[in-house]
Amino acid sequence: MKFVGLVFKSARRNLRRTMLTVFSVAIAVFLFAALRAVLDGFHAAAEASSSTRIVTIRSTSMIFSMPSTHAEIVRGLPGVRDVTWASWFGGIYKDPKNFFGQFAIEPESYLRMFPEIVLTPEQKAAFLEDRTGCIVGDGLVKQFGWKLGDKIVLKVGIPIYGREDFPFTIRGIYKAGSNAVDNQTMLFHWKYADERSVRPGEVGWLVSEIANPDQAPQIADAIDRKFENTPYETKTDTEKAFQSSFASMFGNLDLLLGSIAIAVVVTTLFVAGNTMAMSVRERTTEIAVMRTLGYPSHIIFFLIAGEGLLMSLVGGVLGASLARVLVTPSTFGGNSFMPPFGVSGRNVVIGVLLSALIGVAAGLIPATMASRLKIVDALRRAA
Amino acid sequence: MTMALIELRDVTKTYKRDAIEIPVLESVTISVPEGDYLGLMGPSGSGKSTLLNLLAGIDRPTGGSIRIGDTEISTLSERALAAWRARHIGFIFQLYNLIPVLTAFENVELPLLLTSLSKKQRREHVMTALNIVSLADRAAHYPRQLSGGQEQRVAIARAIVTDPTLLLADEPTGDLDAKSAGEVLTLLQRLNTEYKKTIVMVTHDPHAAERATHLLHLEKGTLVEQVGA
Repeated sequence: MKFVGLVFKSARRNLRRTMLTVFSVAIAVFLFAALRAVLDGFHAAAEASSSTRIVTIRSTSMIFSMPSTHAEIVRGLPGVRDVTWASWFGGIYKDPKNFFGQFAIEPESYLRMFPEIVLTPEQKAAFLEDRTGCIVGDGLVKQFGWKLGDKIVLKVGIPIYGREDFPFTIRGIYKAGSNAVDNQTMLFHWKYADERSVRPGEVGWLVSEIANPDQAPQIADAIDRKFENTPYETKTDTEKAFQSSFASMFGNLDLLLGSIAIAVVVTTLFVAGNTMAMSVRERTTEIAVMRTLGYPSHIIFFLIAGEGLLMSLVGGVLGASLARVLVTPSTFGGNSFMPPFGVSGRNVVIGVLLSALIGVAAGLIPATMASRLKIVDALRRAA
Repeated sequence: MTMALIELRDVTKTYKRDAIEIPVLESVTISVPEGDYLGLMGPSGSGKSTLLNLLAGIDRPTGGSIRIGDTEISTLSERALAAWRARHIGFIFQLYNLIPVLTAFENVELPLLLTSLSKKQRREHVMTALNIVSLADRAAHYPRQLSGGQEQRVAIARAIVTDPTLLLADEPTGDLDAKSAGEVLTLLQRLNTEYKKTIVMVTHDPHAAERATHLLHLEKGTLVEQVGA
C-alpha cells in the first residue's frame, strides 16, 4: 500500500498528458458501453419473447401482406389456441422525425394474447368501444406530453391507406409488462385502417398462441404447409426469431457494432500504451536512481504497470458512469426506429473491467522495459 | 589494526562496444578500512566512476572479487544485490537525481519504503536525516523550489537515511558553485568524523580531494599512485 502514493504522484507528473489519456479511455469505454446497450436493446425484446406465441409472415418478406382469412384457417389447426393479427401502419405524426411504431391490430384477440400490454380495465373497455380510439405506450406519452382523451392525427405514410389523415383519440396508456413489448408504440383498430385500404382484408402478420411450446416447430410447419402453392405462401417462426429478424433488418448489428467497439478499444490501447512508453522513456534516470536505491525489478514493474492501470481505471469509471447517466431509454429511445435502451449495471462493470484490461495491456511493455533497465547505462545516458 | 570494510582483489572491467572490447579497469586491488574517507581521482575515462559503480553493486566486474563487509557482492543475484544495496549503500550523484514530483521529505523517505518501518518510524528517520543536513524546514519543498546546494543536501539525506554501511559519492560537488560545494564537502566530512561513515568519493576537484583521508589515483584503469592525505 505504501507504494500506491508513488503511483499517484507519478501519474500527476504530466497532468495534461495523464488527463488526455484518461479521457481517451473514458471515451472508449463510453462508446463501448453505449454500443453494447444498443445491442442489448435489440436482443432484449427477443430474449423476453413468449415461448407460446409463433408469428406467421409472408414467405417472401414481412413487408408483404396476407389475407385476414388466413387467421381463421390457422385457428382451426391442431395445437393452436388463439390467433390475432397486426399490420404496420407507418403514419407520420406532425413531422417524419417524430418516428414511432404504429400497429393496426385486431384489438380483442391482440390484447388477450399480449398480457404484457398492461392497461386498466376501464381504459381497455374504452379502447375496444371506440373504432378510432388508440392506446399508446407510456414512453410515447412522456415523449410527446400526451394524456388520455387527446386527439392526435397521423398523416398517411404508406400509400395503400389513401391520402386522408387519420384522426385518433387516446383511450388508453399502457405500460410494458416485459421487454417483449415496446412502450413507445401506438396500437389501434385494424378495421379503421382497413376501411380505407386499397387492399382491404389484408394483414401484415399473424400471431398464434400455441398450447405446447415444444410443438412450435411442428405447428409452424403445419401452418406454412397449409398455404403452400397459394399466392400467399407463409413463413412461420417463433416470436423470438421474429423479433430477431426485425433487428436484422438493420444488417448484422452484432458484427457491425462489435467491430466498432473493438476498433475503438484497440485504438485506445495503442494511445495508452504509447503514453506509458513515453512516460517511461522520460523517466529513465529516475528509474535508474530508484534501482540504485535498492528498488527491485518487480517493484519497478508494478509501479509502472500500476500507473497505467490507475489512468485506465479512472478513465473507465468515468466513461462507464457517464454512459450509465447519459445513455438512457428516454434520451435515445424515442426519435428513431430503435428499441429503448440504457446502459445496464452489467455493461458498466464490463466497461470498467475493459478499462482495467487496457491499463494492464498498455503498461505491460513499458513496465517490462523499466524493470529490465540497466542501471549503469541509464545513468550514463543522463550524465 | 582497523578491519578492512572494502576488499577488491584483481578486479577487471571490460565493456563491449559491438565487437570491440574496451578495458576500463585492469587488475585493481584495493583495501579500504572501515571509517575511511577515500578520494578517487583521475582524468576522465580513467575508470573511477566504473569503480564506484562496482562498489555500489550497480555494475558487475568482468573478473576478480569485491567484498564489502561480509558480503562477496560479485556473486549475488540481481534480486539479492538490490536488497543488499538498499541495506548497505548510500549513493550521492553529481546531478542530485531527486524525483521532481516528490517533496524533499518524500525523496528522503524513498529508500525507507523498502523497509518494514512503520509510517511513524519512517517520519522520525526522515526528519533526523533532514536535520543532519540542516534542511528540516524544507521538508515540504519540491526539488524545483530548492537551490542546487540544497538539492544535493537532500540527496545526501536520502543517502544516509537508512544508516548505510558505505556512502558513495560520484562528483558530489561537480555541479555546484564554490559556496555550495564547500557546504556539501563539510557535510560529508562531518558524516565521516562525527557519524563514522565510510565514504568513497570520486572527484576531479583538488579542493574536494583535500577533505579525504586517503586518495587513490586511477589512470587508464590502473591504480598508479596512492597518496596519504
